[in-house]
Amino acid sequence: MKLLPKILTILVVLVVFVVILGPFYIVQEGEQALVIRFGEIISSTKEAGLHFKTPVIDQVTKYSAKIISWDGDPRRMPTSENQFVWVDTTARWKIEDPQLFYRSVTTIERAYSRLDDVIESSVRTIVSGNEIEEAVRDTNLINEIDREQALPSEAEQAIEDDEDLGDTQRDRLEEIADLLTVVDNRSRISDGRQELSNRMLERARGTAAELGIKLEDVVVRQIRYSDDLTESVYDRMVSERLRIAQAYRSYGEGRKQELIGEMENEKRSILSGAYERAEVIRGDADAQAAQIYSQAYQQDAEFFSFWRAIESYRRTMPEFRKTLSTDMQYFDFLYSESGS
Amino acid sequence: MSDGDATPRFSFNLNGRALSIIVIVLILIGIATTSFFVVDQTEEAIVTRLGRYHRTAPPGLHFKLPFGVEQNYNVPTQQIQNMQYGFRVEQAGQNTTFSGADFPEESLMLTGDLNIVDVEWIIQYRIAEPRNWLFNVEDPIKTIRDISQSVVNRLVGDRSIIDVLGDERPQIEIQAQEQMNEVFLGYELGVTITAVRLQNIVPPEGRVQDAFEDVNRAVQDMNRLINEGRQQYNEEIPRARGEAEQVVQIAQGYAAERVNRSRGDAARFTNVLSEYQNDPQTTRTRLYYEMVEDVFLPSQDASGDDELGRSVPDLIDRNLSNFIPLLNLGGAGSNVTGGQR
Repeated sequence: MKLLPKILTILVVLVVFVVILGPFYIVQEGEQALVIRFGEIISSTKEAGLHFKTPVIDQVTKYSAKIISWDGDPRRMPTSENQFVWVDTTARWKIEDPQLFYRSVTTIERAYSRLDDVIESSVRTIVSGNEIEEAVRDTNLINEIDREQALPSEAEQAIEDDEDLGDTQRDRLEEIADLLTVVDNRSRISDGRQELSNRMLERARGTAAELGIKLEDVVVRQIRYSDDLTESVYDRMVSERLRIAQAYRSYGEGRKQELIGEMENEKRSILSGAYERAEVIRGDADAQAAQIYSQAYQQDAEFFSFWRAIESYRRTMPEFRKTLSTDMQYFDFLYSESGS
Repeated sequence: MSDGDATPRFSFNLNGRALSIIVIVLILIGIATTSFFVVDQTEEAIVTRLGRYHRTAPPGLHFKLPFGVEQNYNVPTQQIQNMQYGFRVEQAGQNTTFSGADFPEESLMLTGDLNIVDVEWIIQYRIAEPRNWLFNVEDPIKTIRDISQSVVNRLVGDRSIIDVLGDERPQIEIQAQEQMNEVFLGYELGVTITAVRLQNIVPPEGRVQDAFEDVNRAVQDMNRLINEGRQQYNEEIPRARGEAEQVVQIAQGYAAERVNRSRGDAARFTNVLSEYQNDPQTTRTRLYYEMVEDVFLPSQDASGDDELGRSVPDLIDRNLSNFIPLLNLGGAGSNVTGGQR
């Protein structure tokens, strides 16, 4: 009955021996390990699984074998035309040669601080050697895009509704459309962001390799203007928009004036046309009347004078205040029956 | 494991047999609890034996070697996962709440014509290769974030702000997805980007956005002005047409009147004339006296001076010529009417 505890004791001792002093070590997937004996690297492995070492005297140092991210803070740096931009880069790297890595930096933390220097200096060198557009743009696509849609749909609608639109107005609208697609041809770039990234990688790669590090890539995550430049860019964007807004408003204003002018024009021509027709009608009537009168009156001009005179007296005399003199022929018989 | 070993060593001599049993039971419990694992329907599990990849387990209940000799890592390979840029979903649900915070460091970017634009987007991804996902890249989530940001930045940087706000949107989505997948394939990240969706693309907040909105307002203003012009036109022109018609009608009335009157006058004259020619002398005298009677009978038309308001003409004797100056003095401006005969 004393056997069982003894077996257990032996088991426990064995386990303790294996676990604490053990000749084994385990490398997980995604890890790599160095075996170091009295400060000297004996071997290295990237194979996951169970490995042997000499108990007690061998130390095992494990590193990640995965791709590791490096994330630098955004840095303010000048471009070749001396504009200051914030450049935010990240990089990916892995420990390619653990022995070299152990010898040169030993810890991940120190590797990071070395990478900070290496990558940042290469980023700075490349950015400051190129114009800002090389870093922002990647290709010359911007000059190749077909921009058909020009006017906002509402404007389009307004113009369709405006049925009596002449050629001059159309020209003016096209000008506005040009304002909207205000993409002036940009200068051609020769390299572009991807190429600059590659060059940054190229520059940094050599130094990194001396640390046993393989740089996988260096990518620009973001480029921003420095604050004072941002303000002036905002100013430019605002003034660009205002210019377009102004164009719309003045087009509308112009169109309104035009319509009012057209209205005035049409109104005047309608009214004056009517005046003309009216006068022609009157004149015709007058002529006709004159003809009728003269046809009648010329039958006896002498009688007409008399007739017209007495007709006229009938009409005008009642309007006057009158004082008569007996000189009138009418009174001839008043003084003598002979009428002399 | 080490707990199970340590306990019996301390108390071994106190009650050997009982403790031996306890140790064995503990070991059995340990085996039972560390040798099974469950894989959900949404997951796959990677099993490593002594640190080394051994197998991939499908959903279900599985056995593994106990005491950490085999370890399982469950990876949600069936689920589409989201990642947001420039904004955060705080709580998804019926009423999805968005975090009020902005993330300009993610969303503000430069366009190819050196303008600034605020782009928010999401990506959706699925873990396609769980083994790669687990063992190839240190912090896969952060790697996805970094690469997605850099790719979208580059694509936006290649276009003008007008294009980014307008027609190039779908192009950016398609190319972003392609390029990200390419990069992740290079890293053997084990991830497939299933979608890139640009969300809100706006000019930077504040005065720039205001200026962009002002363009829209300007379009409205333009429409309003044009409509005002057209309205005035529509108001005035029909009225002018009416006025014109009126003027013509009046003229036609005048013409008819004029002609009719002239005909009437002519007819009367002709009739009288034919009578006159029969007997010029008496007709002429008769006409004359009729006229004088009509004219000099007191009428009510002028400023009356008798009690009925009729004007009564004064009569001056031609032989009392001295009277004339008196009357002339008193009646300055009055007309002295007289025949010339």
